[in-house]
Amino acid sequence: MSELTLQFESSDDELPEEVAFDASKSVALKSVKDALDAAKREKNLLKEKRRKKQQLFQEQKKRKLLPQELLEEFDTKPQKQTDLSANKGIYKKVSTKPSHNNKVKEQETGTMPKKTPKSLPVSYRVMRIKDESAAKTLQQRATDFVQSRLYGPGTKRTTNAELLSLKKKRGASQGAAVEFANKKLGACKKARIKRSNKRFIRQQKLIPF
Amino acid sequence: MGEFKVHRVRFFDYMPSGIRALAFNQDTERMAVARMDGSVEVFHCSDRFFQEKIIPGREQCGIEGLSWVGERLFSAGLNGGITEYDLTNQKVKYTIDAYGGPIWTITGNQQGTHLAVGCEDGTVKLFEVNEDQIQFERNLDRQKSRIISLSWHPSGSKIAAGMMDMIQVFNVETGHSIHRMLADRGAGTSRSKECVVWSVVYLSDGTIITGDSVGMVKLWDDQTGTLIKSHNVTKCDVLALSVSQNEDSLVAGTSEGIVVQFQFVSMVLEKDDKEWVRTRTFRNHTHDIRAVAEITTAVVSGGMDAQLVVRPLLDKIEVRSAASALRKIHFPHRRLVSCARKSGLMLFQYPGHLELWRLGESEGKGTPGSSLFVKRNPEKLLQLKVKGEDHIRCSAVSPCGGWIVYSTASTLRLYRLHCDNNNISITKISKLPKVLSSANQLCFSSDSSHLFSASAQSSVHIASLSQSGCKFVGTLKPKSGSHQAIHLLAASEDGKWLASANSDHEVHIYNLQTQKAHCTVPVYSSAVTAMGIHPATNCLFMMHADQQMFEYSIEQKQYTDWSRTVQRKGLHRFWVERDTPCLNVMFNPQNPSHVILHDMYMLCIIDQSLPLPDDKTQFYNQLTLKSLTEEQRKSQSHAFKVCKTFKDILCVELMPDQSLVVVERPLEDIATQLPAPIKQKKFAT
Repeated sequence: MSELTLQFESSDDELPEEVAFDASKSVALKSVKDALDAAKREKNLLKEKRRKKQQLFQEQKKRKLLPQELLEEFDTKPQKQTDLSANKGIYKKVSTKPSHNNKVKEQETGTMPKKTPKSLPVSYRVMRIKDESAAKTLQQRATDFVQSRLYGPGTKRTTNAELLSLKKKRGASQGAAVEFANKKLGACKKARIKRSNKRFIRQQKLIPF
Repeated sequence: MGEFKVHRVRFFDYMPSGIRALAFNQDTERMAVARMDGSVEVFHCSDRFFQEKIIPGREQCGIEGLSWVGERLFSAGLNGGITEYDLTNQKVKYTIDAYGGPIWTITGNQQGTHLAVGCEDGTVKLFEVNEDQIQFERNLDRQKSRIISLSWHPSGSKIAAGMMDMIQVFNVETGHSIHRMLADRGAGTSRSKECVVWSVVYLSDGTIITGDSVGMVKLWDDQTGTLIKSHNVTKCDVLALSVSQNEDSLVAGTSEGIVVQFQFVSMVLEKDDKEWVRTRTFRNHTHDIRAVAEITTAVVSGGMDAQLVVRPLLDKIEVRSAASALRKIHFPHRRLVSCARKSGLMLFQYPGHLELWRLGESEGKGTPGSSLFVKRNPEKLLQLKVKGEDHIRCSAVSPCGGWIVYSTASTLRLYRLHCDNNNISITKISKLPKVLSSANQLCFSSDSSHLFSASAQSSVHIASLSQSGCKFVGTLKPKSGSHQAIHLLAASEDGKWLASANSDHEVHIYNLQTQKAHCTVPVYSSAVTAMGIHPATNCLFMMHADQQMFEYSIEQKQYTDWSRTVQRKGLHRFWVERDTPCLNVMFNPQNPSHVILHDMYMLCIIDQSLPLPDDKTQFYNQLTLKSLTEEQRKSQSHAFKVCKTFKDILCVELMPDQSLVVVERPLEDIATQLPAPIKQKKFAT
């Protein structure tokens, strides 16, 4: 408090300093220029970032698409895959696989009758029935749906050990948590912790030889 | 009474499977229970909930719903097929594919003519129920999201479907949707997830009641298609709903394990304006409740903690009896453990494999109640995995320990076991008689020379076992009576008699030397849960589900005098009020008047030479007898000696060296391996 009053006193007693007009003008101009520069730099930086992102996307897209030759093959030569695409059941989701590329290459060599090229709708993918049984994956997907709704993220689940321990805590004869009382519970986890403890002690040389 | 060395066995890691669906048949008073592993069990509600029939499941079954149509039982699951069960022979009759993807729900109309299934692809398919099969009739209008639950209007003209985020009411005649009611997604984090309408109930006055994943029980009006009232029951999901027969009571099961009851009552006495009011809360489960059913006098619920809980509604019960107590069914009412007495081996039956263990040895003597030093630990000798996807229905090991047999729904396999001190070798008997294709129950004769296999039409096939293999000897057929499947077999010690008990409460006794039916025990109203033939007197001792016991003399073809005395005097109240059935009857060759029984919570030795207790005597008098003098003990002791030291007993066996084997499965160990429960905030934790 006293320092402040001293400062005020000093500024009150003395005459104001003389500052040249040019100096202050240059200072003001400089600050304006700095601000403009900063803004420009920011703009350039963002531009760079955008450019880099665009490049990355282009690259990824290139990687995702098949090589140019194969795309041409698909359009010109009708293959066995078109038979599969003919049965447009809702479950027959069809996907491109590396095995198909090999198949396509093999059939390149043989002579195929020229049919009008059929292209698949955007949401359909080509898949071999031998590789996956369609019914099985539907059942698996349904089970996964139920699992995620009941046990997945967003549900507040706890462990059985905690449930039993809480029961013991509030029960008639109160006892320790189940992990400590029941030897079988988490036996492998306890063994792992014990081993890592031993390793730590040896490493840190906590026990003198 | 006897000192026994007890092998306390806890290495049978039996895991029951969670309950997925319940269906109650009003006319026959049977409750069908579907489990997560695909097995279907039928309980008799008025016979102390005895587990009458078990149809084993298979791998990757994914059963989702059960429905009774008259006396026929249908189920549907995520494998896309509708299955009908043959309840007489306890197996699957046929499965037809509904071609709609995974099926989430199946329900029959009240008239018993049609079955509706809700599929993953958004269609409600109607099947016509014919005499011998069901036939696809038509689809209702296809919707964009999956159909999770269905409910018919009692008239059969409309059907309500619970889907993702909405409820649709269909006109069955035209197949078009009449109303579309949107279920609210709730506040907070649940706004981003779709609201799943897990269950729906359609009442005859047009009210539709739904339980959804936000935890609300909502009442809708089907005339206007609007929400009437909504009750916030829980923070997690409401998974199951069930309405009573006269539509005045509704129970809802939640993920937290609580069952909430709503009743249709008037708020003011003697006024006629009734509404649905939340009345009772039952907290009998620890894990998610996947199915509830309201039967006439009780609420039955089951879920992921694998116990079936029967909670009687005390306002509907007039007399305090065994039916008015809370009942929890943990273990199956069948034996899963068989014992090779002469060689000290135990066979444990799991759904997908069998385990053979040798018992350990101890040394030294101790005071009663102390544990002895274990000289040799019990060791697992063999693990036999079942080929194929079916689960094991029954299994047995021969008394000498040389043969193991098991049966699934489609096959029967017999193995020869050679057990030297350290070497175990097992060979499969490949050439089995064609008749032995699948068995409902299996039993070896006491000298391990014959195998008895209970199969279709209540008949028993006999096969002889020898070094060269297995040969078919003959079939025992009952003279008359039902064709229900046999669930118990008992062979006599001398190899002359065989008794079989089937699901129609019939007990037939066969003469093995002539291979003909000898006699039939008079039919009793309750099912047989355990039976055994006394080695010396050849009397058949039977325990029933209502805790009554009978002793029938095979040679004289009539009840014994002791049995008549028991019936005349009546059993003690504490004995009759026990809520778990006795699963094994054993005899002690050294004390011919002893009968050893056990149920899930106690072990009892009945001494037939001592007087029976009447209602006024102290039933559990073991401790008091210890403190009395020799003279007083003689006057005070009665026939029932009950030991309650062991809990959660799966099986008790008496070995020839006068030691008992008690196989326990502590419920706490089962609880640690169940799926994760919901986190509940309790006061002071």
